[in-house]
Amino acid sequence: MGKMIRAVVVPRALQAVMVAWTVGTLTFVLTRALPGDMAYRIAAGRYGYDNVDAAAAAAVRQELGLDQPPLLAYASWLWDLLTLNLGRDMVSNEPVWSEVTHQVGHSLVLALVAIAFAVLLGPALGVAAGLRRRGALDHASLALSTALRSVPPFILGIGLILVVAVELRWLPAAGHGGFAHAVLPGLALALGLAAVSSRVTRNAVVAVARSPFFAFARTKGLGEALAFRRHGVRNVAVPVVSYFGVQLIYLIEGVVVVESLFAWPGIGHALVHAIVARNVPMIQGTALVMGLMFVALNAVVDGICWGLDPRRRAS
Amino acid sequence: MTAIASTDGFGLRLGALLGTPGRRLGFALLAAIVAFAWLVPLLHGGDIASQNLMRTLAAPTAAEPFGTDHLGRSMIVRLAAAVRLSLGLALLSVATAVVPGVAVGILGGWYGGAVDRVFVTIADSVLALPGLLLVLILSAIAPGNFWALYVGISLVMWIEYYRVVRAYTQTIARSPEIQSSRLLGFGMGYCVRRHILPEVLPVVATMGAFGAAGAIMAISALGFVNIGVRPPTAELGLMMTELFPYFDEAPLIMLQPIGVVFLLVLSLNLIAGSDPK
Amino acid sequence: MTASATQRRADPASPAIRVRDLSVAAAGEIVRPMSFDVHPGEPFTILGSSGSGKSLLSQAIMGNLPEGLTASGRVEIDGVDVLALPRKAREAMWGRTLSLLPQEPWHALDPTMTALPQVAETHRHVRGLAEAESASRARDDLAALGLPPEAADKLPMQLSGGMAQRVVFAAAQAGGAPIVIVDEPTKGLDASRRDDVVALLKRAVEAGGVLLTITHDIAVARQLGGYVMVMRAGELQEEGPAATVLANPRSAYARQLIAADPENWPVAARPPVAADAPEVLRAEGVAVIRGGRHLVTGFDLAVRAGEIVGVTGDSGCGKSSLGDTLLGLLKPGAGRVTRAPGLAPHRFLKLYQDPPTAFSRHWPMRVLLDDVVRLHRLDPGRIPPLMERLRLAPELLERDSRSISGGELQRFSILRALLLDPVFIFADEPSSRLDPIIQQEIVALLAEMARERRCALLLVSHDMALVDHVCDRRIAL
Repeated sequence: MGKMIRAVVVPRALQAVMVAWTVGTLTFVLTRALPGDMAYRIAAGRYGYDNVDAAAAAAVRQELGLDQPPLLAYASWLWDLLTLNLGRDMVSNEPVWSEVTHQVGHSLVLALVAIAFAVLLGPALGVAAGLRRRGALDHASLALSTALRSVPPFILGIGLILVVAVELRWLPAAGHGGFAHAVLPGLALALGLAAVSSRVTRNAVVAVARSPFFAFARTKGLGEALAFRRHGVRNVAVPVVSYFGVQLIYLIEGVVVVESLFAWPGIGHALVHAIVARNVPMIQGTALVMGLMFVALNAVVDGICWGLDPRRRAS
Repeated sequence: MTAIASTDGFGLRLGALLGTPGRRLGFALLAAIVAFAWLVPLLHGGDIASQNLMRTLAAPTAAEPFGTDHLGRSMIVRLAAAVRLSLGLALLSVATAVVPGVAVGILGGWYGGAVDRVFVTIADSVLALPGLLLVLILSAIAPGNFWALYVGISLVMWIEYYRVVRAYTQTIARSPEIQSSRLLGFGMGYCVRRHILPEVLPVVATMGAFGAAGAIMAISALGFVNIGVRPPTAELGLMMTELFPYFDEAPLIMLQPIGVVFLLVLSLNLIAGSDPK
Repeated sequence: MTASATQRRADPASPAIRVRDLSVAAAGEIVRPMSFDVHPGEPFTILGSSGSGKSLLSQAIMGNLPEGLTASGRVEIDGVDVLALPRKAREAMWGRTLSLLPQEPWHALDPTMTALPQVAETHRHVRGLAEAESASRARDDLAALGLPPEAADKLPMQLSGGMAQRVVFAAAQAGGAPIVIVDEPTKGLDASRRDDVVALLKRAVEAGGVLLTITHDIAVARQLGGYVMVMRAGELQEEGPAATVLANPRSAYARQLIAADPENWPVAARPPVAADAPEVLRAEGVAVIRGGRHLVTGFDLAVRAGEIVGVTGDSGCGKSSLGDTLLGLLKPGAGRVTRAPGLAPHRFLKLYQDPPTAFSRHWPMRVLLDDVVRLHRLDPGRIPPLMERLRLAPELLERDSRSISGGELQRFSILRALLLDPVFIFADEPSSRLDPIIQQEIVALLAEMARERRCALLLVSHDMALVDHVCDRRIAL
């Protein structure tokens, strides 16, 4: 257990700190780079142009630390971040923390639906293709995977909306409700993930089937199915799951755009809104939580790899 | 130098470069797209912003072979401009990322030590966040600015080259072939030229093609959510957003930028190799 | 496994494996038709260098030829022609009637599973024993082979080559198959480990088992005894009782092959090192440390020009690290290494065990040699006579290291070294990856060159006989 903490938890915890620092620093630079009288504009955004006065602008200036010398401001900016004092949404005036904690739940649901679809589709297709190498299914899955990898998730989403929602009217095109609303955005994200992981799985299956240890398992008397169960599955799963960790970047980046497309009330949608409105506290809050979600999913993948691969535990 | 007539400067052979049928298809596709993007302004002419509200969402004609958009602007001119923007920006970002990535990777892998650790830390902190988030925040700092995209994408991308090249260099630097060359009296420059670059460059080329494909997808995604470049710039993602409401009226117009993104990314993926690394 | 072998002791008069006109073909014939009988209790060995088709023969008998290869003829096992059987029926014999001891035991073990279950699963699924009994039998098997108890719970990457070899042996034998086919059992093993493996195999055969061994190692054939077939390029060269064939080979190839065994090398006339030969390198009280481990301590050595010193010892004892320390590539943990003054640093050189790893694979030989010539402003006219001397064809200059054989590549390494007029060469097992005939050629050339050019040579080898035949003196680590 102590070993696992050192090998899995500590590096990811450090990454989480790194995420917070990167987001904090970039958003701090953002506050300094905003043009014009920032405080006045923010106050205007918050209270409406008619109600802005010098006092309101001063309040904002103080809130964002715009009146402090840069280094001091930077320190107090990071301190606020460290104490999870994320400030207030400049548009709605709600506390950022309560908004993002609400949104992150939606995003997590979407991410998990996507992962579930991807895990159901990709590895199964990959194993089937790998077992009949150079067969029709193998060739077809390579072509399909190459094509799907060439379509960004939001375009897959557009396609799904146009075909499944608009033409066929099977599923809702946008918004948030029951599971039905999650199917299309989930699929938009999952298809790309599955396209890659099916090939990773297929290559791992082929590698195992050709490996000397698999041949030895056969000649010592284990039947094909038994040999695959005992020596194939784990050796295939290890590279597939570790590659899934690499694909999490694709998933998180996809979430940002796909949520916007489907008007899914998650953290990615909120981030895009905040950036368009240059709503600094929300940019910081959403980017931070999105980054932490990325780290957390990575930690889960690491943990699964740790459980799957005894070589990691031994080294 | 006559001795190395059989190979080019870094031991890459043209046949190996063109390689598989998939890769040849990729090069052909990319060449066709490049020809389209750079020939249209010469042969067709026209301005990406000039509107003709009398002829909106027009079907293809001889004068406008790709039809017009919701503001009556020429689709062929806008598509060609959008390809020049996306492909140009992607290739520029890759080029910007490759040079420092490879150089710092070789130095770090070869010497190790404190400087290497500093670069590893920088790389880790940049990659702690998914790259697109970084680009998003950067484009909030300088909204609607081509340069924010360029800096953001290159900043994320150089690290990949750095990490891979560093790992390769570390392995090669400890190998007998380098030890043997050092014993024979050769210096680091020679080892880089004869041992490291020939090993690393094919990998970098593959990554470059994947990276360009990723950059094109990222640019279009940002355009699609209205971050990045501003109207009336012709950008593939932005064009999709603008045309989305008119899908019912003119589905073929809307499908054009989608098809172009697909073909661009497909050609680069095919050049990189059909299977993921 | 001995118990199971005795259970099924066959009549010694009738062969357990009877092979008639067995050939292997892909597009063309790769292994020419062969006939032979393997009897219980008598080791049967197929001897040949790499590329002789001997592994294909074993796979044809086993029934696991790679895709695209087909076997024809008859292979009778206990009287049944197995080539005529459907694939399923042949596979059903694996582990139960026939077992195969694969090459490179490390790779034959599942890297993600500890040793014990890899043995126990044969008991469990091939013999059909209960879970608990399978595990305890497997534990006994491993102990019987002299493995320490903690090895049972280790992953293959944590086992030494010799330990992995024994785990594989136990796993292959647990099914109780009376017929054992062994493919290159000593590849990459030290001489002492090799003797262990041969002893294991002999034990199985003495208990009445059937043993068919495929090897390139003449020592293995000699130690096993029994019956020997010599193969070359898919063709039988000679066969007969091991004692006769190995002592008195009749075919030209067998004679060459057996003469190439270091044991049989002619004792070369060794001119004594000139009394006034200058010392080129001296080590005093040197300690060799690699990765925090003290491999060698208190090492003293003085080598004189033209002297050939053999270095022997099992793998992992620090032979290579000692060489790196003497060459200044590794800092000595204690003591010092001094070179004779006035000698350029690049005259102290090294030859590598695996020649392809010492060359960049991206350039033709000509480029790499030209680089050396240019760097040290040498006369390029020296290359052609040296190539002739080392029996390297000029057209090889246009090839890169991937398309040159190991023996030729090693001669290129020697050539590259000789260009620099070396005074000291550390040769790290320079021939151990080569076939015996090539090995003899390389070592003879190397020794000749060293004496002729008065270069000190430190020759590392795990083969005592080789060292004794070539070296002026020997250091055992």
